[in-house]
Amino acid sequence: MIQTIKSLAQNRSLLRDFVVRDLKARYVGSSMGFFWSVVYPIMNLFVYLFVFQIVLKMTWSADKSSQEVVLLMLVGIVAWTAFAETLSRATNTLVDNANLIQKVVFPSEILPVYITISALVNLVIALPVVGLALTYGMLNPPTDPVTVAAAEASGNLGIQVGLNLAWLPLLLILQGVFTAGLAYFLATFNLFWRDTIHIIGVAVTVLMFLTPIFYPAEKMVAEGYGWMLTYNPMHWLLDMYRGVMVKNLAPDLRFLAQFTGAAALSFFVGSQFFSSQRERFPDLL
Amino acid sequence: MYEKTSKGTDVASAAGGSAIIARGAGKAYRMYDKPIHRLWDLLLPGKERGKEFWAVRDVYLDIPQGATVGIIGENGAGKSTLLKLLTGITRPTVGEVKTNGRIASLLELGAGFHPEFSGRENIRLNCSILGMTEEETEERFHKIVEFSELGEFIDRPVKTYSSGMHVRLGFSVATTVDPDILIIDEALSVGDEHFKGKCINRLNEFQEMGKTTLFVSHDMGSVKSMCKHVVLMHEGRVLEQGTAEDVADEYLKRAHVRGNERMSSINRTTDEYPRWGSGEIRTQEVELYGPGNDATNVFQPGSPFRARIHFEAKETCRQPVFGLGVYRSDGTYVNGSNHLWRRAPIELDEVKAGTKGYVEMAFESLPLLQGAYYLTVFVYDHDKAAPTPIDHREHAVSFEVMDANHMQHGLLFLPTRWSVTVDGAEERVSAE
Repeated sequence: MIQTIKSLAQNRSLLRDFVVRDLKARYVGSSMGFFWSVVYPIMNLFVYLFVFQIVLKMTWSADKSSQEVVLLMLVGIVAWTAFAETLSRATNTLVDNANLIQKVVFPSEILPVYITISALVNLVIALPVVGLALTYGMLNPPTDPVTVAAAEASGNLGIQVGLNLAWLPLLLILQGVFTAGLAYFLATFNLFWRDTIHIIGVAVTVLMFLTPIFYPAEKMVAEGYGWMLTYNPMHWLLDMYRGVMVKNLAPDLRFLAQFTGAAALSFFVGSQFFSSQRERFPDLL
Repeated sequence: MYEKTSKGTDVASAAGGSAIIARGAGKAYRMYDKPIHRLWDLLLPGKERGKEFWAVRDVYLDIPQGATVGIIGENGAGKSTLLKLLTGITRPTVGEVKTNGRIASLLELGAGFHPEFSGRENIRLNCSILGMTEEETEERFHKIVEFSELGEFIDRPVKTYSSGMHVRLGFSVATTVDPDILIIDEALSVGDEHFKGKCINRLNEFQEMGKTTLFVSHDMGSVKSMCKHVVLMHEGRVLEQGTAEDVADEYLKRAHVRGNERMSSINRTTDEYPRWGSGEIRTQEVELYGPGNDATNVFQPGSPFRARIHFEAKETCRQPVFGLGVYRSDGTYVNGSNHLWRRAPIELDEVKAGTKGYVEMAFESLPLLQGAYYLTVFVYDHDKAAPTPIDHREHAVSFEVMDANHMQHGLLFLPTRWSVTVDGAEERVSAE
């Protein structure tokens, strides 16, 4: 792990170049460019809103206004997209860059990491949308008497934005470390078993529906699947993101501690596995 | 751990030191019957799965700084694996490889180019990949653009480049890195003659600056023209190393053997080519002879050449004439002749049924240059008003001409006479 971090530090300018190129490459040749980073989460949001709220008529909970539900979903989607995208892209990154690994003396440590960072930057680019939605929600508090009464009864203060936003950078960094560890592991494992890339495609979708993004965590607990949340780091992370961004709540310290532990473990195992096999990459490709 | 430069303090001082040292280096790859076995090997080590394949073994090399060394061998001889070992891209399974100084390898020109980006952007990233700092890149940027001669294309996406332009850009970047050791893997075979010339000039500059160059090829001619020292690889081992002349002889000997094997396998399939005629006489085996008395299918320019066409007469035949056409493998008709249309013709009045014999055509010195050729042999009946085919065999036998010296280019080896006169001074003449 130390080795990996050292190499990343040594090659930071190359890493930066890769991130910049990757961000540019996303939209090179497209006329709307970075605007797409903003459009994607909104489109996703509309699709899931339509399915869950309109077709399935699911109520999140009685005390939450529709603005609040939209925001909770949006925050979940934005953070999840960065996570899912990193896993599916990083798994194949060594294979995609085979010519660099086989033909040039190249610090392959940067490959899974540049994908992680690029996805996080993309997440940050989409944040203004969340900001706009937050502002709109703040300016238009719920007027529906049923919701207002329920909120008063449960003590729900609605959408709140405040100083707890200062936690956001920490959460982003933790997400980056957690994801990079998985990316290291999957990228390496894929060289031994090329089916990994296909399995990841399915696994990411399954995980997305097992994580409370489009429905409240309470419903899962009520149905007796609460244990799944106990072992799902992404649930801890999303819960903290929502608290910080939508409710002006400091992260739940238990979740924060657990997720920090998960991120450290993920990065340790992933990078150890990566660097233990690194010398063999040119032969495995 | 990746290091941009591995310039050791002990080496920089020693002028006559070694640039590359290999001691008993070998590289084994594991070949699995099924891809999943590789995963089992990772999860449950211990049990032997798959076969070991030694791509390179027992390599001892000591390449002094400033040397230009050629590595030569046929396909699969382990050249590419050896290069990967020497560049440090892969580690030897046994033994050790040590290099001193920054290495630039032209194993693949433009590795890491992104097709959507302009040449300009790709130069920057490629420099970064090759381990240059931003200042170094900035300093050299102009030189790279200039050398590549891409003109306005430098601002267009690389996907719009021709393969020649791609190579030009890659070569410009790789050689501007200012390496201590330059490794070239037949990369120069692409690109037009003009750029090739520029590349060779650039390489000569490297040599003059006392940099170490490794040149890998299967073409003896180009290795000989660039390198004094040659390493001959065969089946993963260093078969011989020494001066270009010594190794070239050994190489040519092997090339002849291999060429003959290749040719005989080609010649086994010559039945597939068209053959027509009335059939009173059938030509049979066509044997080729070089300087020796053994049949061969590989020649050198200027060596003696004899083609012996065996025949058998099925029916009695008046005035048959044997002839032969020489073609290059691409179908270019090089030469055709027969034994009748000559100043002193040989006339065969009658060949009786059941007789056998052979006809020979010979060049005292074969005027062909490097390449693959074939012979078409034919017998025509000249008793009639117009010659009619008795047995016409297209592509009866193939042969190869190998040239280690490359003194001339093109199709034919012609005896040329050169003279140079400068300012009315004494004329200098080269007859050959």
